[in-house]
Amino acid sequence: MSSAGVITSFIKKEFRQIMRSREMLIVLFALPAVQLLVMGFAVTNEVKNLRLGILDYDRSASSRDLISSFSSGDRFQVVPVSESDNAAELISAWKAQLVLVIPPDFGADYQMGRQSSLQLVLDGIDGNSAAVANSYAAGVIADFYQRQSKTRLHRAPLPRLSPGVQLISQMSFNPDLKSSLNTIPGIIAILVTVTSMMLSAISLVKEKELGTLEQLMVTPVKRYQLMAGKLIPYLIITLVQLQVAILLAGLIFGLELAGSYFTLILFSVVYLFTSLGLGILISSRVNSQQQAMFFSWFIMVVMILLSGFFVPIRNMPQSIQWISFINPLSHYMTVLREIVVKGSSLAQLSRELWILSASGLLVFGFSVLSFRKRV
Amino acid sequence: MIHTSHLVKQFGSFKAVDEINLEIGRGEIFGFLGANGAGKTTTIRMLCGLLKPSSGEIRIDNLDIIKHSEQIKHKLGYMSQKFSLYPDLKAIENLQFYAGIYRVSFEPALKRLEPILEQFGLSSILKTLTQDLPMGYKQRLSLVAALMHDPPLVFLDEPTSGVDPQARREFWQVINDLAQSGKTIIVSTHFMDEAEYCHRVIIMQDGREVALGNPAELKQEYGSANMQELFLKVLGVSDAKL
Ligand SMILES: Nc1ncnc2c1ncn2[C@@H]1O[C@H](COP(=O)(O)OP(=O)(O)OP(=O)(O)O)[C@@H](O)[C@H]1O
Ligand SMILES: [Mg+2]
Repeated sequence: MSSAGVITSFIKKEFRQIMRSREMLIVLFALPAVQLLVMGFAVTNEVKNLRLGILDYDRSASSRDLISSFSSGDRFQVVPVSESDNAAELISAWKAQLVLVIPPDFGADYQMGRQSSLQLVLDGIDGNSAAVANSYAAGVIADFYQRQSKTRLHRAPLPRLSPGVQLISQMSFNPDLKSSLNTIPGIIAILVTVTSMMLSAISLVKEKELGTLEQLMVTPVKRYQLMAGKLIPYLIITLVQLQVAILLAGLIFGLELAGSYFTLILFSVVYLFTSLGLGILISSRVNSQQQAMFFSWFIMVVMILLSGFFVPIRNMPQSIQWISFINPLSHYMTVLREIVVKGSSLAQLSRELWILSASGLLVFGFSVLSFRKRV
Repeated sequence: MIHTSHLVKQFGSFKAVDEINLEIGRGEIFGFLGANGAGKTTTIRMLCGLLKPSSGEIRIDNLDIIKHSEQIKHKLGYMSQKFSLYPDLKAIENLQFYAGIYRVSFEPALKRLEPILEQFGLSSILKTLTQDLPMGYKQRLSLVAALMHDPPLVFLDEPTSGVDPQARREFWQVINDLAQSGKTIIVSTHFMDEAEYCHRVIIMQDGREVALGNPAELKQEYGSANMQELFLKVLGVSDAKL
């Protein structure tokens, strides 16, 4: 029998154990469902009923028109404000999430076709929502000007928005800023990471605990055979789970894959070298399943926080942005979003492919070397 | 078959094995005796390449254990003190797995081991999940797993602990047969009656050799009626806790 025979024996054995364990079925099917449902609905940055305070220092027909275009629809809920309020206080008192300040000459300037400055003050505590609210508001104002210019038959330049206000680029691909389109790939990326890292970490530590690893160490089995025998099954399991997650996302959130399925799988396989490698790295340093769980969670949390899932990376301090750059999860998340939402091609993602390949090579290589044969 | 000289294992400043010199021949049943912590397991783990000696030399079949570890691994079977087959595999699946790991074809191996399986009463429980087997069966299964690749050298670290006397006798019957067929058996035990089955024994205390030889000759030398008495005498204790 060949070396491949040894690896096949391992794979067969792993799958027998996997098929017999209820936990594994939970990991495969229940985990994706629960994560998608809970996180998909809870971590939403689709913003509705934004509390909008309007400080109208103009009180003209034009300003009232502008206000009414904000109050139609369910995106903004105009909250009552008094003459003496100021924008910063409204926000710090949680009365409003964003405040629009209409300057005194707004109506007159507008009638004359002159440029005027509307000020938009946003509560930046939740960076994602703020960015979304900002673009909603900008959209309403742009609409207002276009409509007015058509009916009044003369052109008025768009008012400049305050500095720092930018339109976010996803708009062109996700015009409704439907949150699920943005969060679901993120959730799937997290799911894939958690599963692969935990499974590989726990499975190896379990053999340490059982004493079966010691038994393997007296056999002529090679380090790479042991690794391959462990990792191929978990690679397959994670890919199956990814498949289940994509199907569920389609059923629950109507998610459709804009890009190529092949590209998605290719990137996932490349990325799994990093996450499975991290699992091995953990398992070679710890002695019990609990410790393995603890370290996996710890690394997971750091990776998720630095991935741009909750807070956009460009809102982070420069130093943290650098750390995020070396966080493989943030690249994998970007790739999933690009493929799922934009349908980006492999060529467009080549930079990410290089980064993820390098990370996989580095982490996996290091973990294999550090997995000591003598226990 | 096995040769060691000045074998030492040190854990920090603690010497678990201290200057052990052995010469074990082919077909011999060699027993390690000693109280808890005497260094039996540590010595056996060094002999099968699981632990690196702090100093000293081990040669197996005239091959240095460090330099030729891969070659030596094919020659030895090991049954650890702690039961270590996969509990969530069926008995037969465990055997299949080890056959695969050692690169031997499963069916012929199983056929070769058929007499032992019968003797052990394992044939009928091969389809049972290993975790559901009683302790005695688990240990017999471990021995069979260690024999899948027909190794000339077999290490058994307390193979009969927690097993009833009848089952122990059956176990030793098989060990005897294996030695008859030319295999070298290294076994450690807490049971003095089992020492009688060994061709030679080493009695260890605090990592050192205190007696080495054929059980009958040792008994004569020390003027003891049985192994239990001999054991207490060489250790110089009146009431040793085993
Ligand atoms: N990895 C280790 N690190 C430190 N000390 C160890 C280690 N392994 C064993 N020891 C110590 O070495 C001594 C010998 O242990 P060993 O397991 O060889 O004894 P034993 O004769 O097999 O005992 P038992 O009959 O209980 O199995 C013990 O005191 C043990 O605590
Ligand atoms: Mg022991």
